[in-house]
Amino acid sequence: MIDVLITTVFLAAVYSLVALGLSLTWAGLGFLNLAQGVSYSAAAVGAYEASVHIAGNALVVLAAGIVSGALVGLVIFFLVFLPLDGKPNFDLRTLIATLAIALAGENLILDKFGPQPQAFPEIFGWLPTISIAGTNVTSDQLGAVLSAIVLVTAFVLLLGGSRIGLGVRALTQNVEGARLVGIDRRTAAIAILVVSGALVGVAAVLLGPVYFVSYDNGLQPMIKGLTVAMLGGLGSVRGTVVAAVIVAFVEAMTATYLGADLVLVSLFLLIAIVLLLRPRGISGILETTRA
Amino acid sequence: MSSALSVRGLSAGYGPLQVLDGIDLDVAERERVGLVGLNGHGKSTLMRAVVGLVDWRTGAIDSGGRTIMKTPTHRLAREGIVLIPQGDSLFPGLSVRDNLDAGAFAPANWRKRAESRERVVQIFPRLGERMKQIVGTLSGGERRMCSIGRGLMAEAHIYLVDEPSLGLAPGLAETIVRTLCGLDLGGGALVLAEQNRTLVEGRIDRIVRIHAGKVASIEPGTPAQEPA
Repeated sequence: MIDVLITTVFLAAVYSLVALGLSLTWAGLGFLNLAQGVSYSAAAVGAYEASVHIAGNALVVLAAGIVSGALVGLVIFFLVFLPLDGKPNFDLRTLIATLAIALAGENLILDKFGPQPQAFPEIFGWLPTISIAGTNVTSDQLGAVLSAIVLVTAFVLLLGGSRIGLGVRALTQNVEGARLVGIDRRTAAIAILVVSGALVGVAAVLLGPVYFVSYDNGLQPMIKGLTVAMLGGLGSVRGTVVAAVIVAFVEAMTATYLGADLVLVSLFLLIAIVLLLRPRGISGILETTRA
Repeated sequence: MSSALSVRGLSAGYGPLQVLDGIDLDVAERERVGLVGLNGHGKSTLMRAVVGLVDWRTGAIDSGGRTIMKTPTHRLAREGIVLIPQGDSLFPGLSVRDNLDAGAFAPANWRKRAESRERVVQIFPRLGERMKQIVGTLSGGERRMCSIGRGLMAEAHIYLVDEPSLGLAPGLAETIVRTLCGLDLGGGALVLAEQNRTLVEGRIDRIVRIHAGKVASIEPGTPAQEPA
């Protein structure tokens, strides 16, 4: 049971990172970013290359992941948001455009990186392996949980306490009201997409040692991220973190007691049940935002 | 002297619908103007057209001697042309404090937001007790105070206030309009749209009556002061 809890904390931390960006992009900008998985793959590959060509220490690898993920966010801003903002059928067209970027990006990475999965370097090797009630927590798990907690906390503080953060929160609540107080949707869009990409980049680096690095490894985390964002009620930070914990727990329980191949099945059941009980997610503001 | 707002031959509307038909309006610095007229004759559309929140508009709009026809809404707000809209346009999931602070989003106002908040609380003490409350749970009157307060958080050349009395009980409506007309707006001018002209009479410099999308008449704000 202890190992289930340890896995839960680890996965919850990583899924929060992926889902927060998706959630905020939907609530603040009104589109579902299906290219989030490319940010993940690009960050994993970028971090891997940095570890091979520059240095394998945690700071360099993390920075490379953050920068690669954020760059993909910037690409999405220029290729999707800027040309489509204010056009009719914005939500549908952005869905198609981000899907196109997801497919093109994956193939671009396949072309450059090759189909062969690579082993990710151990970046938190300098941390101790600790033992909780007889179960070992590897240094990578410990490093991942600590970094994720620090980053999610920083993100929440930035969103809640800074001027730009207030602008983004206002934008998720009332678009016209936001314009009337001087909030520029484009500036907010850059901030949201770059920060989302960076957070996903961190998630990619943290999950790197667990999975191999390959061109298509962004898909699974994005599916989980979407699940978490949706369960949390798109747009709510607290809801997203709570949902990440629930999803991670269900995943860890399923993988341990029923088998890893049933994880997506149990997650699908979880979505169905939660959305039946609370159609707007755990603390959804979906309807007030979109109305 | 440069004017706070100068509108020339403004026509505007939504889609195929034309609401404004060649409006001329001048508002001097520090002047207080009441915009009266029946529902649906163009008071709101005039205000929304000034900040660019209509589908289309033709004519000329200047502020402080510069044209503002091409300036996007969010930049106008930062440059001190503040609309306090009908229906409040608040951020329902955020606290009163966050809503007020959002009104000071322009960097110059952001630095002074603590002072400005204090000033708003002096004007509407009710908001002071509700700072941490989520705006969606406020009463209609409190929401209106929050909306006006959010507008006042910005230091503006001109405040456009659209029907601040709408949907309020008569007593509260009068208090709100009286408070607004009596405010020290620094160097700012005030344009106040109001369906019920008796609410603004005697409290304002000029009354502009809008009818069928045109200016029907311009009168002094206080009938008694009218020169014979």
